[in-house]
Amino acid sequence: MPKHYRPAGKKKEGNAAKYITRTKAVKYLQISLAVFRKLCILKGVFPREPKKKVEGNHKTYYHMKDIAFLAHDPLIEKFREIKVHRKKVKKAMAKKNRDLADRLLNRPPTYKLDRLIIERYPSFVDALRDLDDCLTMVHLFAALPAIEGERVQVQRIHNCRRLSHEWQAYISRTNSLRKTFISVKGIYYQAEVQGQKITWLTPHALQQVLTDDVDFNVMLTFLEFYETLLGFVNFKLYHSINVNYPPILDPRLEALAAELYALSRYMSSGRLPGNPESNGLIEDKETENNKESSKTDESELRLAQLQHQLPANEPGALMHLVEESTADDTEEESVKECRTLFKDLKFYLSREVPRESLLFIIPAFGGTVSWEGEGSPFDETDQDITHQIVDRPTQSHVFLSRHYVQPQWIFDCVNILKVIPTDDYIVGRVPPPHISPFVDNDKEGHIPDYAVTLEGYKSAGQNQVMPLPGLGDEDLGNSIVEAKSEHNEFAKKKKELEMQEKKYHEELKMEIEGTTFSNLSNKKADSAADVADEDEAQAAIDQAEKDADDIAKSVVSRRKRGLIENLMAGSVGLIESS
Amino acid sequence: EESDSSEDEVAPRNTVGNVPLQWYKDEEHIGYDISARKIKKRDREGRIDSFLSSKDNDDDWLKIWDDYNAEEVKITKEEAKIISRMMKGKTPHANVDPYPDYVDWFEYADKGHPLSNAPEPKRRFVPSKWEQKKVVKLVRAIRKGWIKFDKPKDEPNYYLLWGDDTDTADNKRQGLSYIPAPKPNLPGHEESYNPSVEYIPTQEEIDNYQLMYEEDRPKFIPRRFESLRSVPAYEKALREGFDRCLDLYLCPRTRKKRINIDPESLKPKLPSKKDLRPYPRTCYLEFKGHGGPVTSLSVEATGQWIASGSSDGTIRVWEVETGRCLKVFNVGADVHHISWNPSPERPILAAIVGRDLLLLNAEVGDEETQVRTKELLHVGEPTPEDDGDKKPAVRWVNNDKFDGITLIHHRAASTVEWHSKGDYFTTVVPTGESRAVLLHQLSKKHSHHPFRKLPGLPVAAVFHPTQKMFFVATKKFVQVYDLQKAEVVKKLESGLREISSISIHPGG
Repeated sequence: MPKHYRPAGKKKEGNAAKYITRTKAVKYLQISLAVFRKLCILKGVFPREPKKKVEGNHKTYYHMKDIAFLAHDPLIEKFREIKVHRKKVKKAMAKKNRDLADRLLNRPPTYKLDRLIIERYPSFVDALRDLDDCLTMVHLFAALPAIEGERVQVQRIHNCRRLSHEWQAYISRTNSLRKTFISVKGIYYQAEVQGQKITWLTPHALQQVLTDDVDFNVMLTFLEFYETLLGFVNFKLYHSINVNYPPILDPRLEALAAELYALSRYMSSGRLPGNPESNGLIEDKETENNKESSKTDESELRLAQLQHQLPANEPGALMHLVEESTADDTEEESVKECRTLFKDLKFYLSREVPRESLLFIIPAFGGTVSWEGEGSPFDETDQDITHQIVDRPTQSHVFLSRHYVQPQWIFDCVNILKVIPTDDYIVGRVPPPHISPFVDNDKEGHIPDYAVTLEGYKSAGQNQVMPLPGLGDEDLGNSIVEAKSEHNEFAKKKKELEMQEKKYHEELKMEIEGTTFSNLSNKKADSAADVADEDEAQAAIDQAEKDADDIAKSVVSRRKRGLIENLMAGSVGLIESS
Repeated sequence: EESDSSEDEVAPRNTVGNVPLQWYKDEEHIGYDISARKIKKRDREGRIDSFLSSKDNDDDWLKIWDDYNAEEVKITKEEAKIISRMMKGKTPHANVDPYPDYVDWFEYADKGHPLSNAPEPKRRFVPSKWEQKKVVKLVRAIRKGWIKFDKPKDEPNYYLLWGDDTDTADNKRQGLSYIPAPKPNLPGHEESYNPSVEYIPTQEEIDNYQLMYEEDRPKFIPRRFESLRSVPAYEKALREGFDRCLDLYLCPRTRKKRINIDPESLKPKLPSKKDLRPYPRTCYLEFKGHGGPVTSLSVEATGQWIASGSSDGTIRVWEVETGRCLKVFNVGADVHHISWNPSPERPILAAIVGRDLLLLNAEVGDEETQVRTKELLHVGEPTPEDDGDKKPAVRWVNNDKFDGITLIHHRAASTVEWHSKGDYFTTVVPTGESRAVLLHQLSKKHSHHPFRKLPGLPVAAVFHPTQKMFFVATKKFVQVYDLQKAEVVKKLESGLREISSISIHPGG
């Protein structure tokens, strides 16, 4: 038999046999396209790019092994079962067989995703590596309105909210938050868990609108997987710091959908040592009150209330919960640094600041924080408060003993891991530009002025509030300054100051050395010339380097030159092609 | 008036039928009578007349204008009553009762039997067989556990899924290699709620975005908010989340191989400039005197002299050692190229001046050579060439001004090169077509052009220093000729974009 002989109807070799188009895959699996989509999302199967697109360029190709992988999954049978169940219910309803319909509706076929998670992420680090999208999605849904009758179930949204708070509580407790950034889209956070950098985006705490231009089926399928994943990840993380997961709640309160209070009760029950008694008592009493009131309320009302209060209190409560667990003695340097950033500072949040976010960030960097509203640990009148975070400039009573700063100050401090002077962030003034901590300055090419200033703060100074000499009082006088020129001015002033200082030091030195005035002028001229020379020399060196580079590039062959240029342009190893 | 009274008796005179009357609006007539004669339109009474008549007569309100017959009709009192009843929604005639009492005509009294006399069936008294079957079915289903009434138990949702992270075999992912999706891009400075001023586009730029194609338009336009509380909800949040989802499950992923080498290592190691020393770094001598840019330079065979041609129209001969300018020839036109005769006995300069070649006595060397040179640089009789009516390619003419020879070319010459013996030399006339490369013999004062065909415009031509070979460089190729046979030996392809000059190693 010749080697090339292939019986009729048999698959070919190579790309034609290895890859299958989507339509054919759906037919092969004998499922509908919607179910195929769902399966792909849950199993993490994605199209691949064959070297040779046998069936045409505009089609999507899946690897045959991936499809076989889907075909063997029990989930496919489960989905069929669900479909059958739905038909049965429909039939019963149509025959007015209420009994049967109810009985069927009571026991719908369910499936679990834990097997899929371990299949997709065999080790925990794998799961952490892919957690970015999961967290962003869960936080996005947590910000959606929990309204009955909308396209997203209220229960799902509450679940998302709970999961996101649990995650935040862990991050805050272990001081693993590294970077934060307020963007127009929301607030970005970057944490480091087990050596993995995890970045996620939380929308601003404002009512999101459910738009019509998205397919909620797809999103909810993703969310289904992500919820499960985050639940298991949270379990593992809580387990690693010896805290029960899920936090054990009072069943009565839980039944009343007052999860939050159940949490606080759990926290203050005295099982955990080191919790201040008074605080616990207050919480306890409040719990009782709220419980009674909520008993009388309609369930919808309660939900609404909870929804209103959840963002305010839950992270705080959860944080206390985790705080008491045993901590590792051996900590890395960076963790220690993060833990002690706001160590002796006490913050108070006024209204209109992003409370949820700040309640997450400040404890993550070792600060204590309270807020305006129910259940706050301490009052505005507390004398120990060092910083009050305010956004609206109108103040009823101003305490002289504390700094009134805008929320951006916290974010900027966190990003450079230094407590920076508060002068620029005083209430009522337009704050300096907010700089992204995720930008690689060398690659970007352009460095904003304020980034340079921040870098200066970072390299200089200790971990203290260091108002610049001669700058503070001057600036306090004219609190209304033009917004745009401000930071430029500031940088300029700083430079000037530095120059003056330098000059002063030089003069001092000269005095000590006993240089006479006549020499001095010469020397000055010299130094000026030196500076000019230095600049020129630097320029010459740069030029020489560049020349050498160019010569080297021009010497190699054209193919190699192209390769070098490509290498210079991009350095990432893996690319998604769409 | 008479006709009015007889209205009831006569049938309607107009016979047009039930047609819209506006068809006759512009006509003189309103229709036709029964004998097909036109009925003329009659005017209605004027408003004032009708008003006056209504004042005069009490029953004037009973008059109605009949459009169909175009006449006034007076209705009776009875008719008016009917109309008013109809308008109220009542029956037209007053003596009709719309709701008469129901009268049951059947007599029930003394009727001893029901309507049907059939006996009561048995099934009314026996339990249903089908119901029993259904019950049996249900009972069996319950007994066998097909129907369950208790709610399913809630199992703990979460447990420790991942054990200790040891790198074992079952810790590896099964199946095809997993390609993790690239992470979403991290936000830059421009996405800040309060970016630096330089990131915010001006109004002009924003307007320009509108003119761009939608794909080219920037997805995100930076905005600046004065304070955090004024930042609105991001309306595209859901949309972007959704797009990311689509990317994750719809985009084909491939693993692209990137060469993981340092780009620096690809570059050749260049010796540093320090290692190349000694090389001249300081200026030793300057030859000053030219008033324009120096275009060409040539060194004499003995190395004592140097000649330079400039576009200021002079040729200068310098002593190399001292930088002294020995001689200035003011030739009066641009000097394009200059070349010393390589033979030390013949201190002759060949220069392309303007469009022609000038052979000069450089007047260096001892007297004997001077005399010989002078002899050499003298053309006896100009020999007319038999080239038909064509202009001769070159004419040898004595130049009295410099005691030299001018070779007048038919087109502008560009370069001149000597043979190493110093008797032959060649000039290149790029635009000369078949007479582009010319060979001259100084002793015989003779020129010819042996190379008829060239693959392109010639750029330069040189003699081989030892062998009887000749090289002509065109823009792309180098042709190698054998001088004795006057034919092409080789054709060298340079692979360069353009050849500008050619030079042979002195050793050959």
